[in-house]
Amino acid sequence: MIEISQQILFGLGVAIQPVNLLFCFIGVLIGTLVGVLPGLGPVAAISLLLPATFHAPPVASIIMLSGIYYGAMYGGSTTSVLVNIPGEAASVVTTLDGYQMARKGRAGAALGICAFGSFIAGTLGVVGLAFLAPPMASMALRFGPPEYFSLMILGLTVLTFLAGGSMLKSLMMACLGVFVGNIGFDLVSAQPRFTFGLDILLDGVGLVPVVMGLFGISEVLLNVEESLSRQEVFDTKFERLLPTLQDWRDSIWPMLRGSVLGFFLGILPGGGAIIASFVSYGVEKKISRHPEEFGKGAIAGVAGPESANNAATAGAFIPLFTLGIPSNAVMAILLGALMIYGMPPGPRLITAHPQLFWGTIASMYIGNIMLLVLNLPLIGLWVKMLKIPYPILFPLIILFCLIGAYSLNTNTGEIGLMISFGILGYLMKKFKYDGAPFVLAMVLGPLLDNSLRQSLLMSAGSGMILFTRPICLSIFVFVAAILLIPIFKRQFSAKDPRGSK
Amino acid sequence: MRNPDQFSSLVWLWVGIAIACSSLKYGFGSFHEPGIGFITFFAGAFLAFLALLLLVTSRREQKMPGRFWNLWTGLDVKKVIYVLVLLALYTFLLRPAGFLVSTFILLSLLFRVKGAHNLATAALLSILVTGVSYFVFEVWLQVQLPKGIVG
Repeated sequence: MIEISQQILFGLGVAIQPVNLLFCFIGVLIGTLVGVLPGLGPVAAISLLLPATFHAPPVASIIMLSGIYYGAMYGGSTTSVLVNIPGEAASVVTTLDGYQMARKGRAGAALGICAFGSFIAGTLGVVGLAFLAPPMASMALRFGPPEYFSLMILGLTVLTFLAGGSMLKSLMMACLGVFVGNIGFDLVSAQPRFTFGLDILLDGVGLVPVVMGLFGISEVLLNVEESLSRQEVFDTKFERLLPTLQDWRDSIWPMLRGSVLGFFLGILPGGGAIIASFVSYGVEKKISRHPEEFGKGAIAGVAGPESANNAATAGAFIPLFTLGIPSNAVMAILLGALMIYGMPPGPRLITAHPQLFWGTIASMYIGNIMLLVLNLPLIGLWVKMLKIPYPILFPLIILFCLIGAYSLNTNTGEIGLMISFGILGYLMKKFKYDGAPFVLAMVLGPLLDNSLRQSLLMSAGSGMILFTRPICLSIFVFVAAILLIPIFKRQFSAKDPRGSK
Repeated sequence: MRNPDQFSSLVWLWVGIAIACSSLKYGFGSFHEPGIGFITFFAGAFLAFLALLLLVTSRREQKMPGRFWNLWTGLDVKKVIYVLVLLALYTFLLRPAGFLVSTFILLSLLFRVKGAHNLATAALLSILVTGVSYFVFEVWLQVQLPKGIVG
């Protein structure tokens, strides 16, 4: 405990260095803006800014990129409440009650509770991260290739289970992602694999053009084909930003519950802010004395999910920093960034690069304070940003993507890759395939390949090693349960004469 | 093909089989000594299996939209193709023409896609955005943007 406190103080010393403070501020500001603007999520924003960070110190870069992630959670709630458009996927749930509160003239209370709930949850999440990460890192030293393989399979399975839409389709995207992730030179034999004779693929398919294409370009294409522009802005007037005492009484326990729930869901590989917000809403509705008020402006329906999605962002850093396993698409990109900076995450990150680990944790706390200060007074400005007509906005998004892709290797082939994945992402969205499992699997693909091969080498070719080691076996039992749940549910609802509800 | 899931599942079935077969050519190896096509074989085979499952379940699904091309009903897909063509041309012209010229042309055409601006306004906006982005990325962030015919 004392040692951790000393490390936190060390981290604060790193975080308050002027360059790190500046990057933290830039990150949370951009994150809030990204969260406010519909269509450009933190994944795309981090991808766009990743090339720019190559010129900056690594610690400052990670602080900024992290700030974009949790800043987007703050910003996403603004448009959810004011104009019923979730600026970020994790803020979808906030539209259910937040917008209804705005229609009743209580936008200020909703926005205020969002901001305070996010701050409380973010703070609790950072504390959890600081105290849980080091013991988890020690435990992670007992993980060998079989355990890593099983954990990555668990992460992919959980993500496909919890992703919106068809689990079958999500699993298919995960398989495709594993394949794409393994394109390029094989590390063991140094032979090219599935490069189709293209030099651009020799180093593998870059994560940045893929995510910019899948999430950025595809979203633009979907909006371009709409015949009506998104010009409607509901001019909401709001009187006060600070919640009343009654609002606090109704919100404090949902905030605390959401924080704990969100944090642990964020840790789970495959979990994340979106899942956390939906689960929190479900829990609050279930335990509420007045569940009929949900969907009509219940403040608990705003406080819980907004707290959960912020706490989840902190929890998501634990598997990334301690195991080197990203729990969602954003963490996958941060993993790529850490590898590029020469700071591979894993159990030894805390001891090898303490300034990165503790500096990032401390900066997250500072970032949460910055966000509270930013979000309350700047709400009027964010609302004005929404008035930028989409015919002007989308060329800017495309330009950022093009420059971002080109700047990776000053190679137009990266732009070609991005456009190709843009087309794929567009078709995926049309046919209702989720991109998140694809991205996660693409990042994990080479790691899966290495860990599986190492496991088989360890066991002289016997696959039973994956089922005889206790941690592996437990994880695979959990994986099997997750895969079988939908089948059992379908069987039980088919047999129940009363039908399922 | 009938509904969108039937169409897409057939596409992925073909892709999965192609990946699995190509992986065998790269070398499956053995369980004692996995080859470079080891994990991609399983990825492809599993993809094909899941696509087959989707094909079967989508045939039994009663409440699907008609044909897969109904996904584009009421939408202006010509604009999507137009934007993609512009992006492809930009990719080819970026190096020879340079960042300034190709970006100006691209933006001028993109600002008019939704028909919101006349040519003069689009051109003015393009000059402004091209200039600002050149300053931010080339001058400030030191990204080596192609000079082309201007530089």
